[in-house]
Amino acid sequence: MQTKDHKVLVANRGEIAIRIVQACRKLGLAFTCVYTAEDAASGHVRIARELGGDKSLYRVSSYHDANELMAVADDAGATAVHPGYGFFAEDYRFARRVSQRDRKLIFIGPSWRVIRELGDKINTKRLARSLGVPTVPGSDRPIYDEMEAEKVAQSLFEFQEQQGIRKPLVLVKASAGGGGMGIEEVYDIDLFRSVYRRIRNYALRQFKDEGVLIEQRIRDFNHLEVQVVSDRSGRNPVHFGTRNCSIQSTGLQKRIEIAPGFDPSSIEYGFDAAQVLRDITQHSLAMARKVGYDNVGTWEWIVTRDGRPFLMEVNTRIQVENGVSATIARVRGQKGVDIIAEQIRIGLGEPLGYGQEDITFEGVGIEYRLIAEDPDNRFTPWVGRVDGFGWPERPWLAMHTHVPSDDPYDIPTEFDPNLALAIIWGKDLAEARERGVEFLDTLVLEGANNAGEPLRSNVRFLRDNTGRILKF
Amino acid sequence: MFDITQLLDEIKASPYEEIVVAAPHTGVVTFADVREGSRVIGPSGTWKEKKGTLLATIERERNQKPIHAVEKGEVKEVLRHLEGTFVEAGTPLVRLRHFLSKDEVLAIILKKALHLFVAPERAKYYFAPDVDKKVKASGASSVSLHEGMDLFIMSRMKREASLAYSGPSGVIYAVYFQHNENVDAGQPLIGVCPPDQLSLIEDVVARVQTEWEERE
Repeated sequence: MQTKDHKVLVANRGEIAIRIVQACRKLGLAFTCVYTAEDAASGHVRIARELGGDKSLYRVSSYHDANELMAVADDAGATAVHPGYGFFAEDYRFARRVSQRDRKLIFIGPSWRVIRELGDKINTKRLARSLGVPTVPGSDRPIYDEMEAEKVAQSLFEFQEQQGIRKPLVLVKASAGGGGMGIEEVYDIDLFRSVYRRIRNYALRQFKDEGVLIEQRIRDFNHLEVQVVSDRSGRNPVHFGTRNCSIQSTGLQKRIEIAPGFDPSSIEYGFDAAQVLRDITQHSLAMARKVGYDNVGTWEWIVTRDGRPFLMEVNTRIQVENGVSATIARVRGQKGVDIIAEQIRIGLGEPLGYGQEDITFEGVGIEYRLIAEDPDNRFTPWVGRVDGFGWPERPWLAMHTHVPSDDPYDIPTEFDPNLALAIIWGKDLAEARERGVEFLDTLVLEGANNAGEPLRSNVRFLRDNTGRILKF
Repeated sequence: MFDITQLLDEIKASPYEEIVVAAPHTGVVTFADVREGSRVIGPSGTWKEKKGTLLATIERERNQKPIHAVEKGEVKEVLRHLEGTFVEAGTPLVRLRHFLSKDEVLAIILKKALHLFVAPERAKYYFAPDVDKKVKASGASSVSLHEGMDLFIMSRMKREASLAYSGPSGVIYAVYFQHNENVDAGQPLIGVCPPDQLSLIEDVVARVQTEWEERE
């Protein structure tokens, strides 16, 4: 079967669903979207109606229901499933079911064995250590037992005291959570138990899984990522550079991402930044080769102030911030790299067709996550109606959004109030920052809630933090 | 307070409600042997353990899901052109005309009689852990409320905040929200009965029980 004969089920919503549809169109592929009652006004529904062919939009009961997705795939004649991020993206059971059922579909992501291997944090750490890659200490798996949890926390406190850390703390987080939800810090072992119980109850309510992870929190670090791309052969992984995702909300959700991860050409670091970037890309590729990684993925690292990197985890999926790496990447000197389109193309079985030596980088990319939230009030989400949303078009700006700019939009309470991703390119850090500020200053974003209070957004926060990007 | 006689008369004047039975999820529909005009019954038994009349089945991934009538009533319309086709979630399948039952009439009247504590925001609501324990052990009516007590956990976008009760002291007489389902702003969460009104409310209940004739 040739690539162009495939039909892709887009098993996600919002901005990522739109980007997958656009990538499909670029590759000449048919697609099918799904939506729930809550999401009827979302841009991905509109784009599916406008651009989709026969059987390209279905209302389903839930994005979380695999049966629903399989039934739609069959009725629509889909041959592949793109999970986006979140939902089923890192669920190896889903990937396995998709590829092993009677009417087989291609899962556009790594093969289920790879997801299982790297989704298991003990395995990832064991693999990393076997290759001499440093990892973050902490509980290697979700903990369900209070006594055991306390023991792990105690050992983490002791470890940090031995390391001479003045104010040790541990992180307690819901294992099934993600995106910074259900995380608390504990500074005192005596308070640990109550925090543990709170997080456990939260996890049970929200995710129906009581598992809790206990980790060391390394303060004063930068959060870096390596974008890996590898075709189905699993033998020739390449990287699309590094990203710096250190500017986050208090709930540890990313707000600004920059590619590349450091900029030693314009900023002075207390360590050899170029060497750190080389080290983390080489470590990441070594691990990818070892497991036979066969799609796109991200290796997440923390780098301490003295320039030591530790592997945090591997995300076996496309990430929100893939576009910021694409904007500075050139393949054989050509612009317009689209990592989602590459993911689909190689996911359907095409060889990558180029090697690391063909990939170069130019300039600096900044991605802003525009969110309806109140940064002054612990980033509390804001709910209401967006009735003014617009920005001047620029050659150096790419906007990804599911929020219509010609119609009012009610933010659904089911999902996080993400409104858009803005990706900005500059020939160097100074120009990228300047353009970033220009974009934020000319952006129109207005609305009100039921009580008539004006829309709250993080635009001011993004602007204030643009000055310190890539500094460490 | 309010005039229960007048209210009952109003309800008696239009004692029907249209119920749309929709596909709970996607799948291929097969209608059961129901016709326009035929009578159907809703779930029955002490715990509503006996299912209502089978209206249709919907098949997805080789699983058949029976769709039963949720209330008793008369079949007004069967959307028979959907027979054998793949439908989306939420597609209407059958329309029923339902004659209000005693409990429903009572619920309508109680909503007027009780003090309603309403949802301040569209969100999912859960009883706070201490209250939840009591509710599960001995029912909602065992919970006595007072101003300022922690009553709910309000959850939006997986962020939780606690919500304190405000209103007259009393017991929870009715619960209007469902586990894990969104409640719109302004919709009631619970109905509260102050102790001094308990006898009055019981009178209302007795009156509906005797006056409302349930039709087949």
